[in-house]
Amino acid sequence: MIRMVARLIRQGVTDLALNPWTQLLTLMGVTLVTFLAGLFLMALLTLDSQLGAVRGETAFQVYWHPGMDMTLVREQWENFRHMPDFAAATTFTPEEALRELGSRLGRSHGGKGELARDFPFLGEGSPLPATALVSFAPVEEDTAAWVSQIEDFLKNLPGVERVIATPLRDELGQAWRKVSRYVLFPSLGFLALILGLLVGNTIRLSLLGKAYEIEILHMVGAYSWYIRLPLVVGGALQGLAGGALALGLLRLLHLRIRDALNFPPLLAEIVFPPLEMCLALVLVPAVTGMLASRLAVRG
Amino acid sequence: MIHVRHLSHSFGPHLVIQNCTFSLGKGDFLFLSGPSGAGKTTLLRLLYAALPSQIGEISVAGVDLRGIRGRAVADLRRQVGVVFQDFKILPLRTVQANIALPLQVRGLVSPHIERRVRAVARALGLESRLGLPCGGLSGGEQQRVAIARAFVVNPKVLLADEPTGNLDPELSFRLMELFKQFQAYGATVIFATHSRELIRRHPSARVMRLEEGAIIHANWPGARVSSAGGEEGIDASPPLSLDGRDEFARSSP
Ligand SMILES: Nc1ncnc2c1ncn2[C@@H]1O[C@H](COP(=O)(O)OP(=O)(O)OP(=O)(O)O)[C@@H](O)[C@H]1O
Ligand SMILES: [Mg+2]
Repeated sequence: MIRMVARLIRQGVTDLALNPWTQLLTLMGVTLVTFLAGLFLMALLTLDSQLGAVRGETAFQVYWHPGMDMTLVREQWENFRHMPDFAAATTFTPEEALRELGSRLGRSHGGKGELARDFPFLGEGSPLPATALVSFAPVEEDTAAWVSQIEDFLKNLPGVERVIATPLRDELGQAWRKVSRYVLFPSLGFLALILGLLVGNTIRLSLLGKAYEIEILHMVGAYSWYIRLPLVVGGALQGLAGGALALGLLRLLHLRIRDALNFPPLLAEIVFPPLEMCLALVLVPAVTGMLASRLAVRG
Repeated sequence: MIHVRHLSHSFGPHLVIQNCTFSLGKGDFLFLSGPSGAGKTTLLRLLYAALPSQIGEISVAGVDLRGIRGRAVADLRRQVGVVFQDFKILPLRTVQANIALPLQVRGLVSPHIERRVRAVARALGLESRLGLPCGGLSGGEQQRVAIARAFVVNPKVLLADEPTGNLDPELSFRLMELFKQFQAYGATVIFATHSRELIRRHPSARVMRLEEGAIIHANWPGARVSSAGGEEGIDASPPLSLDGRDEFARSSP
């Protein structure tokens, strides 16, 4: 019995060689359909990662202790420019801050008087702290975590007294993200369905050529499982081979076009499907190949 | 071994088998004759459950074929060897593989299969062809492959649909001897043929003639001629015509 099953499985494999051209065409069909599904999946994932990423700037108002050594502060300002996602910085030394404040006050008073003249007790040294408005344009999934992380970093800089983070305004991005959650997973299910239908039909068509053999086996008294086993094995193999081939092609393509969209302002890196989706790309054709073969025997 | 009572079969409105009644015992040999389109193939197909029985009773090798399905059909066919009018052999597979098919299906081990296939192929003059794909064989050779595949399982019932249609007379007479050997070992054989000459050469065989699906002639009491007058009378008339009997006298040794 076991020997018979082993022989039937072996026959399922060797039978593929009986009609090499039909099998090759079927394999190509399965490969192309799976490849197309993979492409679509890649596009979907890339789109999703783009929608998931935050677009917009967030700003941090940083205050140093008054009377800090300005060379140290200037050094920190310079370092800001090298931080990831840095967008812009506006900096004020205490003197600049005073001048700015004065000009505003002056303007609001309608006069042109110097602050020092109005408030002579301020003397030469400015009592104001050094400040900076640093903005970043992050491309992050978890913005809340990111904001608090940057905030902590800035707070812990030597000499910094306090940091005020302005909340990120990214309602559009958030909305898109929500929608894409509703779109992505149904799309994946739909994709698997189409893949299954197309692969199944391709393999079913290739089995039409086997109808005669199936009829003969029935006539000489074969039980149904005996007839099905080699066909199911063959169908599974074809699905597996087609899926694997398609995955290989997809990988090659990805290596070539990975950075095709990675330029400003898109800055979109094309996403290769994660492992579990790759597995699905191979297993869905294999399983539907099996099912289609089974159904074809019945018809 | 084979019992058929009031069997009728129609394809749509077209009645192809009309109220046939006959029975054959173990070791009986029946020539089934009749013009083209008479229903010979249809009757045989009913006997190996390739068509579902519609009206009447039919049993083969002790199996009631009414409403038979699935595994029971396979089990029936394991007892019945069939030589198909259109051969039904796989052109891409070798002669060896085609003949071995019914044995493989039964799960026999290869040395055993090989021995049986070789023996049958030798009897049918196919030994030198065993390794060739069937598609390349001549019509007569393909027909012999079809016969070998039916012989190889030593069936209890052998149904042969024009098994000598593509063979020259000399070869068909020789093949007839093989069929007769099966009969001698106790198989029940139905042999559909157009060849009057074959029938003449075997006067002891039972003969049944179909026309438009009805039995219009039979030469043994187990068959009922569906005459216009009714279905009661059992036709016990001698085989064929008078001059046919003269032929028998001449050809028998
Ligand atoms: N599947 C089918 N559907 C419809 N009609 C059929 C079918 N099979 C057979 N027939 C009809 O039944 C009749 C009997 O056919 P059958 O094949 O049994 O004849 P036959 O006696 O074997 O003829 P031949 O000597 O030419 O082989 C024919 O008229 C044929 O057209
Ligand atoms: Mg016929």
